[in-house]
Amino acid sequence: MSNIDRRTLVRGSLAAMMAGAAFSRAAFAQSSEPILLGVSGPLTGPNAQYGTQWKQGFDLALDEIQSAGNINGRKLAYSFEDSQSDPRQSVAIAQKFVSDPRIVMELGDFSSPASMAASPIYQRGGLVQFGFTNSHPDFTKGGDFMWSTSVSQADEQPLLAAYAVKRLGLKKLAVLHLNTDWGRTSRDYFVKAAKEHGAEIAVTEGYIAEERDFRSTLVRVRDANPDGLILISYYSDGALIARQARQVGLKQVICAASSVYSPKFLELGGEAVEDVHVGTRYFPEDPRPEVQKFITGFKKKYNGLEPDAFNAYAYDAMNMAAAVVKIGGADRRAIRDAFAKVKDVSSVIFGKATFDVESRRVKGAMNAELVVRKGQFALWDGKPT
Amino acid sequence: MAEQHTTMLSLRGLTRRFGGLTAVDAVDLDLAKGELISIIGPNGAGKTTLFNLVTGLDRPDAGTVHFEGQDITGLSPERLAAEGIARTFQLGRVFGNLSVMDNVLIGAHTRLRAVKPAVPLIGPLLELGLALLRPASVKAEEERLREEVKAILARFGERLLPRIDQPAYSLSYANRRRVEIARALALKPRLLLLDEPTAGMNPTETAEMQGLVAELKGEGLTILLIEHKLEMVMRLSDRVIVMDEGKKIAEGPGEQVRKDPKVIEAYLGHGLTTEQESAA
Amino acid sequence: MSSWLDYTINGLIVGNVYALVAVGLALIFGVSRLINFAQGSIYLVGAYIGWVAVVQLHTPLPLTIILVAAAAALVGLIIERFGLRPLQNSVRIAPLLATIGISFVLDQLVMLTFSPNPRALPSQLPDVRFQIGGGTIGPLDLLIAGVGITSALLLFVFLRYSKLGWAVRATAQDRDAAMQMGVDVNRVNQAVFGIAAALGGVSGLLVGMYYNQIDTAMSLQATLKGVVAEVVGGAGNVPGAVIGSLLLGLVESYGVAVFGTSYRNLFAFLLLVVVLVLRPNGLFASARQAPPEPLTGTFIAPSRPVRIPRWVLLVATGIFAVLPFFPVSFYVLQTLINAWLLGMLALSLTLVAGTIGQVSLGHAALLAIGAYTSALLSLTFAVPVGLAIIGGGLMSAALGTALISPSFRLRGHYVSIATLAIGEIVSLVILNWESVTRGPIGISGIPPLSLFGYELVSPISIYWFSFIVMVVLALLQGRLLGSHLGRSFRAIRDDDIAARAYGLSLNRYKSLAFIFGGFAAGVSGGIAAHLYSYINHETFNTQQSILALTVVILGGLGNVVGAILGAVALVGLPEVFRIAAEYRILIYGIVLLLLVRFRPQGLLGTM
Repeated sequence: MSNIDRRTLVRGSLAAMMAGAAFSRAAFAQSSEPILLGVSGPLTGPNAQYGTQWKQGFDLALDEIQSAGNINGRKLAYSFEDSQSDPRQSVAIAQKFVSDPRIVMELGDFSSPASMAASPIYQRGGLVQFGFTNSHPDFTKGGDFMWSTSVSQADEQPLLAAYAVKRLGLKKLAVLHLNTDWGRTSRDYFVKAAKEHGAEIAVTEGYIAEERDFRSTLVRVRDANPDGLILISYYSDGALIARQARQVGLKQVICAASSVYSPKFLELGGEAVEDVHVGTRYFPEDPRPEVQKFITGFKKKYNGLEPDAFNAYAYDAMNMAAAVVKIGGADRRAIRDAFAKVKDVSSVIFGKATFDVESRRVKGAMNAELVVRKGQFALWDGKPT
Repeated sequence: MAEQHTTMLSLRGLTRRFGGLTAVDAVDLDLAKGELISIIGPNGAGKTTLFNLVTGLDRPDAGTVHFEGQDITGLSPERLAAEGIARTFQLGRVFGNLSVMDNVLIGAHTRLRAVKPAVPLIGPLLELGLALLRPASVKAEEERLREEVKAILARFGERLLPRIDQPAYSLSYANRRRVEIARALALKPRLLLLDEPTAGMNPTETAEMQGLVAELKGEGLTILLIEHKLEMVMRLSDRVIVMDEGKKIAEGPGEQVRKDPKVIEAYLGHGLTTEQESAA
Repeated sequence: MSSWLDYTINGLIVGNVYALVAVGLALIFGVSRLINFAQGSIYLVGAYIGWVAVVQLHTPLPLTIILVAAAAALVGLIIERFGLRPLQNSVRIAPLLATIGISFVLDQLVMLTFSPNPRALPSQLPDVRFQIGGGTIGPLDLLIAGVGITSALLLFVFLRYSKLGWAVRATAQDRDAAMQMGVDVNRVNQAVFGIAAALGGVSGLLVGMYYNQIDTAMSLQATLKGVVAEVVGGAGNVPGAVIGSLLLGLVESYGVAVFGTSYRNLFAFLLLVVVLVLRPNGLFASARQAPPEPLTGTFIAPSRPVRIPRWVLLVATGIFAVLPFFPVSFYVLQTLINAWLLGMLALSLTLVAGTIGQVSLGHAALLAIGAYTSALLSLTFAVPVGLAIIGGGLMSAALGTALISPSFRLRGHYVSIATLAIGEIVSLVILNWESVTRGPIGISGIPPLSLFGYELVSPISIYWFSFIVMVVLALLQGRLLGSHLGRSFRAIRDDDIAARAYGLSLNRYKSLAFIFGGFAAGVSGGIAAHLYSYINHETFNTQQSILALTVVILGGLGNVVGAILGAVALVGLPEVFRIAAEYRILIYGIVLLLLVRFRPQGLLGTM
């Protein structure tokens, strides 16, 4: 019985994998063969929330693309594979997408280890890996098939530094950052820019993503005696820090990176995030038509839910993908070349997005200086807090 | 000094306390080469603890243990096994997932030479290398030991040989005790400590076991025996030691000890209290 | 100096929070000798039930607490009745794995019901703050402390003076004797799980309110910190768990004070390892006790391994060797490459956990050591990739063995806890030792696999390379198991005391097992590094360690063929379940539970 065990199990699982592929193929065949994008991202596991947010952004963009008459008559669709942001799974997904002729390009993954582990496979397989949240400076160095609309931290952090130092007049800063590749890179760019503006960095503290308690960190911050706190955080940890800072009696100005820009930040932070300054790429009252279209569309589709930064990244990414496919068609190589050709694609984050062919990234993110007033993000009116 | 040549094991003032309880209380004992001494006493008298102290599984709070004139107090069980002290366990500690053959081969572990080069520091790594490469000398040694194991198992008649490749957990209780004794014999011990070898055996099996121990004694093996079956103790022992509440309360030839009023009292008294305890 | 007062107070406040989980863990350990890895999940469930009560039903606080306690207790009772009671006559490792499976299932159910987005859980207490030192505390701090201390006290009184409490203690001391004396052990277990779960649920509620934030990732963190606190205080010791928690909070807080925030967890896990090594029964355990006499084979399921005829293995190897000649998609090949890499890790773990019985929960650390060594050797010193991978294997063997060696004297679940901690320590050292490991930025641009100057970049060549390496490692391990070392390892696993009595040095043979196993894991990590081209401290995480352990159990502990079969199954199944999308981890958890329940010795049996 042993031999039966082993062989049937192995064969069975192989057969099932094939069957799975065949099944999805059949399912798609009915829907008049749309142009298919592969998405590799977390739907389960510790980063599952971001995958869900991507989906919301993608779906909104796809609705709009469809009502605008699709792409040269063909529908655009995506196939979302859950990677749990685990490199082991993202490489398998990469191979799956590369060997699936219907996939014309790939979006994702979320974390750097998962994305960059898959890069060699996309590069060799000749399939564009469009990493729209990959700010790791080395991501696009993986090859000419790696493109990113993630705002380069080299771009974003000087804007935040200018907001904090030049506009808010802070002179001595405490920087708290997520100790991930993103947080660390951001911190370095921020510190450099802030120093150039003449500010002093009193202390920097890196914390791990699972951290919930910041009281002792805040004692260190207090002892360094800064006049402002800079948060290079996501919204959940940013809200925790703001709450605890206020609870332990720190009254300094708090200025946070755009990644906290989310209605959840307000919900989780409550009163503690009142008067927190946030440098963002867009804001609700932003008169730009693409922003208004995004926000009203999003609220309409999701029962009044306010979109956040990750929704916007995903929305932009899908629109960019549509623009690229419009030029490149369904040919993978042509799609890669199309990235260099697209110009001024309407974007919530960039206004008009055009790739820098050298770095394969988009430069010139929009900038809005917000502050939380009465529990809402509002454009900062220049008044001190 | 002349006496020391023949004294195999010598305990002086051996003491072990657990919290408020003194499990072994200042026990003295001398065991001559080739002698068989039985230790008897009620449950909880400290007999097994005494074995643990002699074999290094537990450390005494006071007192000394000498083996062939050498102080071995507090040495590790690994060292003592290498010195030639082998024991069996009261609860029958065979290696459940190992075959009978492998169980007994573990007994011969201290005698492995070819695979355990005595090179300092990198000795273990060489052992790993030799185990993987298995040159002729290693194979030959393994073959020789396997033959030896079969010879040892043959001493138990047809009890173990037909089950030589079966895992020990599948054996009957009595057979597990036999495997334990076979494992101890594979060490080629100079001192053998047997902890209730006939526990749970029926009269026939007990008689067999008694025959085997007598045979071992006849071969000149020095044996320390814990046993409850008094008839067997009387037949086999050169001397009998009686323990109660950690103390040695009597010592001498079997018949003399048997009539000792202290011994009778200890057995009767304790018999009652242990029953009470287990009812509480 | 007033800062030190603040650090002390902060440490105590956080310790207070840890104590809530640790007390529940201690209670369960005290009775069942089980580290309940599902305690964090009950905490999670409690937090979300609390959210429903507060945000949707608008219940007042006392009612919220009662609701949460009752619902969580119910979950605890269900876990005990259907998850653990069927396993009570099973091997000791079975319930441990079952709690891991239960935690997967509960976490996923919560995630599917409530979505993974974090939610605010507003405190229902007035927001007043009291100034203490340089900081403040609020009513919630007091409530948490009150609940922690009161529950510890109540438990103490309950255990000491009530009839059921007496039964609980009797069961904790000697389960069989208690049963003989007419203690209904099932009822005791039920009571304990109910109480511990109620406590866990309420702690989730209170901690959620405390941070005004709940999300599905809080479960694992709560379990980890709770386990550390509990073991530091002395597993099974309820007041010890409270003191252990406070101590853990203090050590973390002082660690932050002296070295900075990113060292915080490093200190937590170092504390655990130090306590385990110096006082394995915890800081507050009673004086030295006689070593318990375990019955043989209680930790590892006794079983007859399934004998697979040699020709079947040869044919299977042949089929996999020629697979790339057939029209299989690169996706299937890549999936199998993952299976071979996981297979190497599983070979390593099955030797360490199965053959010599050191159930490691931190095995991914060996991958990380191998991966970083190989990556740095090839990048910094331009060592050819083939040699660099071997270097990774050797470094993993040496460093891994050195790191684990202080815990060689531990037994049973303590080994698992120690290895879990060492795994976390390795990951945190990688994060913080920036000059060598480049910290959170990670190492990018790692050269691709190559052999004798030829780059192996096509999936087919990588497939063959990893397959051949795995087969060679498997053959070597098979040879090892057939030697006197295999016999000695297994003897130590089955009964370490009897093994010592026959001259087997535990340190020597445990070291050899970790050296051999460390090499295989290091090679796997090394290959992965060159395959991925980018690694950082998160690439090889705790989830991989748990996955590897599942593979090993699935295949059968110590079973070489089983490890590989398990790796193929557990890499393959989630891929097959891709159709199930968000539900696949749930399915995975259920499969794990069924396996532990119905075939604890694994598919091919323990060797």
